[in-house]
This record gives sequence, structure tokens and C-alpha cells, in this order.
Amino acid sequence: MDSPLFCEGCGRLYPAEGYNYFDLFGLPPRYDLDTATLRQKYLETSRAIHPDHHGQRPEAALMSLRASARLNEAYRVLADPMLRAEYLLELFGGSSAAQDRSVGPDVLTQTLALREELEEARQMQLETRLADLRCQIETLCEQTESAVQELARRLPGDETLRRQLRQQLNALRYYQKLRENL
Amino acid sequence: MDDADIIVGIDLGTTFSLVAYADESGPHIIRDENGDGRLPSVVAIEPAEDDAPPRITVGWKARQHAVENPRSTIYSIKRLMGRGPADIERERAYLAYQVRPGPRDTIQVELPGGAYTPEEISAFVLQALRERAERHLGRPVRKAVITVPAYFDDAQRQATRVAGQAAGLEVVRIVNEPTAAALAYGIGLREQLAAESATGKQVAAGRVGLSLAGPGRQRQPVDFGAAHTVAVYDLGGGTFDISTLRIEQGVFQVLSTAGDTHLGGDDFDRAIVTLVQREVQEQLGLSIDSPAARQALRNLAENVKIQLSTQPQSRIELDLGQGRTYSRTIRREEFEGLIADLVERTLRLCAQALRDANLAPADIDRVILVGGSTRIPLVRRRVAEYFGREPYTALNPDEVVALGAAVQAAVLSGRHPEMLLLDVTPLSLGIETMGGAVAKLILRNTTIPCRATEMFTTFVDGQTAIKLHVVQGERELAADCRSLGEFELRDLPPMPGGIPKVEVEFLLDANGILNVSARELRSGRQASVQITPHHGLTRAEIERITRESIQFARSDIEAHRRIDLLNQVDFDIRKTRQTLERFGHLLTPQERQEIEREMVALREFADQAQDLDELYRRLTAFGHRTRRLAEIAIREALIAPDDQPPSPSAT
Repeated sequence: MDSPLFCEGCGRLYPAEGYNYFDLFGLPPRYDLDTATLRQKYLETSRAIHPDHHGQRPEAALMSLRASARLNEAYRVLADPMLRAEYLLELFGGSSAAQDRSVGPDVLTQTLALREELEEARQMQLETRLADLRCQIETLCEQTESAVQELARRLPGDETLRRQLRQQLNALRYYQKLRENL
Repeated sequence: MDDADIIVGIDLGTTFSLVAYADESGPHIIRDENGDGRLPSVVAIEPAEDDAPPRITVGWKARQHAVENPRSTIYSIKRLMGRGPADIERERAYLAYQVRPGPRDTIQVELPGGAYTPEEISAFVLQALRERAERHLGRPVRKAVITVPAYFDDAQRQATRVAGQAAGLEVVRIVNEPTAAALAYGIGLREQLAAESATGKQVAAGRVGLSLAGPGRQRQPVDFGAAHTVAVYDLGGGTFDISTLRIEQGVFQVLSTAGDTHLGGDDFDRAIVTLVQREVQEQLGLSIDSPAARQALRNLAENVKIQLSTQPQSRIELDLGQGRTYSRTIRREEFEGLIADLVERTLRLCAQALRDANLAPADIDRVILVGGSTRIPLVRRRVAEYFGREPYTALNPDEVVALGAAVQAAVLSGRHPEMLLLDVTPLSLGIETMGGAVAKLILRNTTIPCRATEMFTTFVDGQTAIKLHVVQGERELAADCRSLGEFELRDLPPMPGGIPKVEVEFLLDANGILNVSARELRSGRQASVQITPHHGLTRAEIERITRESIQFARSDIEAHRRIDLLNQVDFDIRKTRQTLERFGHLLTPQERQEIEREMVALREFADQAQDLDELYRRLTAFGHRTRRLAEIAIREALIAPDDQPPSPSAT
């Protein structure tokens, strides 16, 4: 499949509206994708539609600017496994993070406890304790990422699966914030 | 080729500016009559008698006479572009010319003949480059790609674009300097590989005028086709940038960028200036801080710095009159001690750029050095240590940015469909929310062009306008970020409060410049967007500058050179006469007479000169013969309390 943004034969541009991120690269909407292929398509399509190559006519320039902006955003999202899961979830009718902020039963208490322990270890400069906590948080992030992956592969799935994925993605945000604080 | 297709590449630097053009054989620097590609970014503006337009000198001449004209010689104007008075507080102490706050958080340079905006001053430099290109190409030049530091914000980019406009140039693209350098590097690499595969051996220099590594040095299995990751470390006269890029199949994708628009060679000079001022104060109780002294010390410090790149030590000698002298030797290690903190600051920014790109130093296949300040041994050493590899030094650090700009110009004129630059925005973009916090819409290091949309609504019934405050920067509070201005969305259809759904689109174009548009979704009506910049020039001011800017359209190269040379003769004789009036009493009568004779001779020759090369030689010789007078002028400038030295003619 080819990108719907331009005609390979004549180089003519078409508007990006109405296509999802996968469409832009001519890829099926699936969690598993070959990142090398994605990158290859990104580079080819960018070259074809970028404003640098369409600056001569004003109407083409604006269309090319919008299409490029959308392609760049699409690549950013699809190239990142977690953003890709998030995007795919919404594409298949799941809730966005703004609509459903719920997390699994222990996530909040666990995050709070970890945060307090981190503070304490920092204040008392307990280096080994800090290293230990760091390790715990990394593990939590990795585990949640695998859970997200596992669920995203089974999309579209049913309502329950999509809810579970939502909650795992929400939990990941909490853990990522902790990791940023390290 | 149509004249409209000619797009030149311009490196508008803090210290030097260059212009380049890419033809079928590749990009090359357009040089002056003496083979120098660099044009000092120095402008001298002197009021003329009567109502005649002011006399404007750009480049080497303006630089040479900077000490005699401290208040009317403007250098390092790039550091003031798009900035406000608060931004340059630290800067002021080092400037020999006067600046004053202008309207809307801008700065104006105050000269004896009137005030100028930084955009106007930069336009004089751009115009000189444009004329140089026109003489070389033999046709009018109307379009340019101009480079800016990657870390320039929206206001600084806009200011650069206005400067181009004022110089009669349509700025078809603003390109980041490190990215341009990477482009030139890529072309050089491709040329090198093509030549090697054609001849079966390595070449010493490519046809693109890029001097490439000699045999056996830095050979790596890297070519234009094989994907690799590079870091461009760009330390220029006034700014520092670090960018990481992925070069793959002709696409140059910037992964991250970080920098400081107030960190460069100027700061190294200042370290030396400060040291000398302090020691003169301690040893002789003299304060040498007049505008002329600042200018003289700047030149001195720059020379010392350059010497210390190749020699272990440099000698400073100042004759401060009345038998007072200051002299000392400065060793390279001592200089390195003075600038070590500044160099470490660049490395912290390198670490940030790598972090943002998710890279470790070892992931970088090549480190490319750009900017004159990368000739400093300490800089090279520390960069090599940080990245764990010797930097790639085969490119001329002064010329590589302009060459890259010319390559991008060729891409934009459609001559290289196989190449593409994908750059990023250096700063996050956000809007001020309730309580002065910032809601980020576009994160830094996002590939441009990029776009974000946000929904807004009204508070009261019948409200037809919404105001947004747009900012750039990484801080949490809007007050700590750089304001892009108030964007007022007008002409919304009147509806009950909270009902309109206004979708605002923030679009960063390939120049890194913001475009805002808005639409009310229920009515489908497009809102008009009124921008009140908190900073910068209004549209009317830009139009005025463009109108007033003197635009020459000279085609006759010989005639142009004659005019240039005659202007220089006038300028030199006038300067020499002024200096002689002030300081002639410090020369012997013979020396004085000699100079008088030389002035008359030069004047006579110039008035009927046929041979321009001979005129140029005589002009240069005249410069040598008046050197002692110039030295005296510098000495007097150092000790004078103000820029009005004691005038013997007044007594």
C-alpha cells in the first residue's frame, strides 16, 4: 500500500484530512509493525510532500505544510510503542486519558508509598536504598509496558480489554512521572 | 536560468558573515576582490554634513576604524536581534556603542546621526553580501536562505527575516546553522565518495570547495547512503548550538537541539578584557573603560585569543602614556582557566541534547565542529573527551554554514529532489492559562512543520473575542518564558457563554515561525486573528524600514569596484586627517609631513586612477604608512576618560 498523500506518478499532493495515522504510511492499523518499514515510508513520503519541494505555488505550499505537519505527528506517535498503543486504543473506540482516568486497585497507593520512600531516602541520603527504589520503579515501568503491549496486540478486542488497556496506560503515566523524578 | 530562480545562502554571523551559491558543480563561497569569503559583521554609520544621507561603511574598513569611531561602529549586532532591554543587561557593559530601549520591548542603537533598529543594522551587512553576490553572478539577487542559531526563538527569527526584507531580499527559508553545516558535511561526504570511487583513491579536496580529511585520517565506513548519526557542535562568535542528526538516504533529520544564544567567542574575549582592566586598575590605578578603550581592548583580546590557539603564550603590551605601561604574558593554561566554565556550559548543553534524542555519547558516529571558536584547543580537547572520539575537523569551520545554506537554497529551487532537511523546534510552545501557568501545546525538539489544535470557548453571553497569550520556553510560569504576544481571536458569532467551540490551530512552519488560525466549529466561521507582539516591530515599522532601506541595483562590476575603492579612499583620508588633528602633536614633525604628503598623493592618484588594482595596492600601502598614527590613537583611546580625547587644538 502507498501513502494517500501524493501521486507517485506525477507528484501531485492530496489533503491529509480524513486519514488515520496508519493510512498515511499505507500501513494496516495494527499494534505490531516493522519499525524499519515505518521509517522507510516516513522518509519517502516526507521527501515527496515536504514544503521544501512544493514552495513554488502558494496553494500547494499550504497543503504541503499541513500534510507535512500531520505526517510528522503521525510518525512521532507510531514510532513510539506506548503512544502507538494509546492512539490505536482510541482508533478502536476506547476512552482517551481525559475521559477515563481510572487505574488498577493498587496503583495509587503504591505510587504514593514509593514517592514517600524516595523523599525519605533522598533526605537521609541513603544511597543503597535510593538505588533499590530506582530499580523497583524501572521494573514497574517495564512490567506495565509489557502489559500494554500484550493488550494492544489484541485490539480491537472487547469493552473489557479496552478498559484494561486504558488502565494500564494510565498506570504507566504515574510510573513514568516517578521515573522522571529520579 | 531565470533571475527569480537565483537563491543565495547567507550565514549572517555575529563576527563574520558569508554568502555562498550552489551551481551545478556544487556550493561555493563568493569571495571579495582579495579572495576573502568573510565579511566582518561590522557597520560604521556616520552622519554626513547638511542633509546628505549618512555615510555607511560595512566590513573590513568599518572594523579597522572601530577604535577611532567607537560610538558609530556597530559590531555583534546579532546578539541584540529580536531581544529586549532586559535580555541584554549583561551585554551593555561590553558595548562601545550606545543602546536604548525602543517601543514594545525592543532595543535601538543610538548613533550620532540617529537611532537604528538591530534589523536595520543587520540589513546593511546583508545588503553588502547581496551586492557581492550580484557582482559575482552578474545578475540581480532577490532571494536568500539565511541561517540562524538553532536556539533562536520566534522573535529572533522574525527579526532576521525583517533584516533580509530591508536588504531587498525575500528570505525563502530560515535554516538553523548546525543543520546547514550538516548539509554541507553530507554533500562533502558524497563528493568525496564519488571522487574516490571514480579514481580509486582518496582526494585531498572535493570540488565543493570543502577541504576533506587527508589520507588515512578519520576513515570510517560512512557514506551518504549508510545511515549514521552526527552531532554538530557549533561555537561561533556569539552563540552556541549543539544538534544531533540522523543522516539517512539523503534525509537530514534533526533529532534534538540545545544551545545558548549568548555564549560564544565574544565571551572568551571578554574574559581577557576583564582580566586586563582589573590588572591595569590594580597596578596603575587607571580605569580603562571608555567606549574607545572597550573597542581597543576587544581587538587586543581577540588577537590574544587567536594567538593562543596556535602558540603556548601571548604577550600583551599596553602603552598608557606618561611612561605608564602595562605588560604581561598570558599562557594558554591561564586563558583556559578563564574560559573553562564557559566550555563546561557547552558540554552540559550537549548532554541535554543527547538526552532529548535518547542517545549516549557513544551512539554518535561523527562529531562535526563548526564556528571559529572551535579552533580553541581546550574546546577541541573537551569535546573529544566528552564524546569519546576525535571530532571531524576536515571542514572549514568558518565557511561550512554558508555552504550548507547554499545547498538548502538549491534544494528549495527544486534542484535536489533526493535531499531533504527535517528540522525541529528548539523551544516548547504554550499558552498562558489561569494563574499564569503554561499549558504546553508543542514540545521542544518536535519535528517541524508541526501543528497543535486546542479548543476554547467564551465566558459571557454574546462574547465575540477571545484573547490568548502565546509563549515559548521550558519554564512552568508564563512570566519566565519568552512572550510571542497576544493573539486575539475576533469576529466570533455571538452566542451564549460557553457555547461556541473555537478550534485554534497553532502551526509551526519549516522556518520555525508560528502561524495561528481559528475557527468556530458550530457556525463554521473563520475567526480573524489579531496579533499584538509583546516584542518586536509592528507591520508599519517593518514597512517603513523596508521602504527606507537604500537599495542599490548596480550591475557594472568595474564601476562598482571603483565606487567602493574611492569611498574607501575618502574614508581613509578623512579618518587619518581627524586622527592627525587630535594626535598629530604626538608625532615628530617629519612623521607628520610624511603622512600629509601620502594623503595628497593618494588623493591625486585616486582622482584620476585608471588601474584599480594599483589603486587597491596604494590604499593598502597607505594603511601601512599610517600605522604608527593608528597605534598612537589606540593608546590614547585606552587612557582617555571618555571618547572625546583631550584636543590640543582647543588650547
